[in-house]
Amino acid sequence: MRPYLRSLAGGAALAALPIIIGVLIMLFASGSQVRVTNIFFINLIVVLGLQVTMGNSNVANLGHISFMGIGAYVAGILAIPIAIKSTILPDAPFGLSVVEYGPFAATLVAVAVTTAIAFVTGLVITRQSGIAATIVTLAWLVIVHVVFVNWMDLTRGPRALYGIPLSTNIVWLMFIAAAVVIAARVFRDSKSGVQLRASSEDLHAAAAMGVNVRWLRLWAWVFSGAIIGLGGVMYAFLIGSMSPKSFYFETTFLTLAMLILGGMRSVSGAVIGAIMVTVGFEFMRFIEGAPEILGVQLPQIFGLTGFFLGGTIVVVLALRPDGLVGNEELDEMIERRIARRRMRARVAADG
Amino acid sequence: MEYVVQQALNALSIGGEYALLALGLAIVFSVMGLVNFAHGEFITISGYTMYALFIFAAPTSAWGLLPIGILASITAAVVFERLAFRPIRNAPATTGLLTAFGLSIIVKNFFVTVVATRSKAVPTPEFFTEMITIGTINIQVLQILEGAVTGVALMLLLILLRHTNIGLAMRAASTDFNTVRLMGIRANQVVLAAFAISGFLAGLAAIFIIARRGAADPFMGFAPVLKAFVAAVLGGFGSLAGAVVGGFALGIAEVVFQVVLPESIAGYRDAFVFLFVGGLLILRPQGIFGQSAQFGDKEG
Repeated sequence: MRPYLRSLAGGAALAALPIIIGVLIMLFASGSQVRVTNIFFINLIVVLGLQVTMGNSNVANLGHISFMGIGAYVAGILAIPIAIKSTILPDAPFGLSVVEYGPFAATLVAVAVTTAIAFVTGLVITRQSGIAATIVTLAWLVIVHVVFVNWMDLTRGPRALYGIPLSTNIVWLMFIAAAVVIAARVFRDSKSGVQLRASSEDLHAAAAMGVNVRWLRLWAWVFSGAIIGLGGVMYAFLIGSMSPKSFYFETTFLTLAMLILGGMRSVSGAVIGAIMVTVGFEFMRFIEGAPEILGVQLPQIFGLTGFFLGGTIVVVLALRPDGLVGNEELDEMIERRIARRRMRARVAADG
Repeated sequence: MEYVVQQALNALSIGGEYALLALGLAIVFSVMGLVNFAHGEFITISGYTMYALFIFAAPTSAWGLLPIGILASITAAVVFERLAFRPIRNAPATTGLLTAFGLSIIVKNFFVTVVATRSKAVPTPEFFTEMITIGTINIQVLQILEGAVTGVALMLLLILLRHTNIGLAMRAASTDFNTVRLMGIRANQVVLAAFAISGFLAGLAAIFIIARRGAADPFMGFAPVLKAFVAAVLGGFGSLAGAVVGGFALGIAEVVFQVVLPESIAGYRDAFVFLFVGGLLILRPQGIFGQSAQFGDKEG
């Protein structure tokens, strides 16, 4: 099979997973389970965006949630009806208080703005090598947070921005997540993706072979910013309100734990990690809320979900640094196993 | 004039705090290539140990809390190394960084669970907040102490690094750890020393931070350590001199922005400081004292 067809097919097979989950939930689940699944899809989109840059270049990125915030705020501010805006954002700059966009236009503009900002920040960040780059991404997250909290006229500061028309649902989210799975997979297997992964193994050797590492990192960073921005837009249209807190460390930890558990080197890892952490996180949240199990009243334990996320990261890295899936995509693994079995059968037949 | 002197002292004391923290990060990084995102937790643990001692032992003077605070920070550093960082010592830098990050989440949530999310008051000696008048200038004792202690700590560190075997081993390990081990130096000892020093410096910084805030909370370590990281990157990550210079440079930048920015955008101070550092890094990506990596260099 041609490489890109193979990559498309593998991506499509993996993309079936979110679709199946979405359909099952729509058919059988209760309202609260649908809400959890909706958030899962948004987190999945963000984790996939993170995988595009962090997984391929192996530079830890702690600032990705900033793009989720930028996407969400831009889309939200554009889409809030003028009537509501005149009370909550009367002094919005750039004449935004008299602007009202439909969801499609708002999405387009928000993703475009996020992409543009990702490009500009990428110019700085990709000049740094490994560790320094990571710290600069963290500083970037703080910068964006400071702006969200302080730019009262545009974002309402620390108070919630509300009134965004709810214009997405599980069907949209499911298909967008599936499309992003395929996009991330095609990027991973593309020429740029392969070169980028080579550079993460040995930066100087790859550069000596003519790989333009800086340009590739920039390209991955911008692509990732666009995906995560789209995730943020979906968040705005799903929840209908947001505050700067929504796009800070909690979400950063959550999505990082997802990517690390599954294994950041593959798109399959991102998907599996997102599923498993979501299940674990919801279970921990259930325990945290002091439920009664088999007649035993459990105490309320604050911080349990945080323990779970931190513990997941530490334990996985100590025992299985490449995550559950590791370096290969699931379909590649299965294919290799089948090939090996065939080979063994042939050898047995010959002997 | 008084105002200028006052602000200069501010810059020095804040810069000293960042330098202490950045230096601790740089020592651990230069020896074992670990980016310790859990460094802030040394401060938090120090703060809560002092709080626990204050509640349960009820000492008559707050002076007694100080050595315990520093000791707690050193112990935390050594325990973290043994439990969490030793298993991943030979792993790539990204693995170490993320492990430290996960560890920091665990410690924060431990204090959220066991104590509370809200801050707890921790007393420090009243002497710290007294004012000294020199000529027409009023100076807080704390500020003088911060400058002086930072200076003394740096001096001691310099002596340790230049004139002791373990110091020599640590400096050598930052270039080539394997050769150091071939010379018959125990790797564990070198790494342990690096962590103990890092914990000690963080403990000193913790005392000043707590003296200024008067309280401990689960997230108190994050902001200063983030600044220290930025300072270390600015100075050139892994360079000890760079950490000190970067720390003071960041302190000065912070005070300058504090003074220059008008009231209406004062809330953006940290954003401006970080953007300023970002701007400097465009001009010199490897930081002030950093060297650009070359083929065959120790991987970092």
